[in-house]
Amino acid sequence: MVLILSRRTNQSIIINDNIVVTVLEMSGDQVRLGIKAPREVKVHREEVQREILEENLAAASGTDAPVDVSRLPTPPTA
Amino acid sequence: MSTVMIDSDQLGATEIDDSSIIEFHDGIIGFPEFRRFAMIAADEAGFYTWLQSVDEPSLSFLAVVPAPFFPEFAPTIRDEDCGPIGLVDPEDAQLLCLVTVADDAVTANLLGPIVLNVRTRLARQVVLTDADLTTRAPIVPG
Repeated sequence: MVLILSRRTNQSIIINDNIVVTVLEMSGDQVRLGIKAPREVKVHREEVQREILEENLAAASGTDAPVDVSRLPTPPTA
Repeated sequence: MSTVMIDSDQLGATEIDDSSIIEFHDGIIGFPEFRRFAMIAADEAGFYTWLQSVDEPSLSFLAVVPAPFFPEFAPTIRDEDCGPIGLVDPEDAQLLCLVTVADDAVTANLLGPIVLNVRTRLARQVVLTDADLTTRAPIVPG
């Protein structure tokens, strides 16, 4: 489902009765949003989530050559 | 105490002890369907750990204990990330960062670390908001 709504500053949308997204401020092409949601609801900037996803895919070892553990760096000794 | 045998692509035939298994209720980001991973020491010194999927022999991750390499790294774990793994006492928390081994560098993901509650054995990959952190922090040899 894709829903497209127009909102003005200080207007909100309510999602699923318990998530409120409010337009706080607009300037140029930037919008500041306030998000009120229950603690268990995960709210992240999309690009951060995607960056971590891509790194996880790179980190996952599977069919590629096994990692040579002897190559791993050791920390500086205190 | 029971054990299970896994024919891991990375580690070969590996015996997994129940007590080494940790559980991600939400999976690792990008891998939501795989919840149970065994922690298997990857080096003798104990800096690196394999996270081997119990249910998918071809899926494993290398993880590093960040503190010895990144002493400044001290993320704040938000309540909404502590709740699902039952984390109340900070002493029960163990941080692990997934490692990417490339030809030219070994890097750690500091932006999306794994928080393990060592008491409940529940773990979660958290998304930090600190703009200074990167998913590819070079692990520099000492």
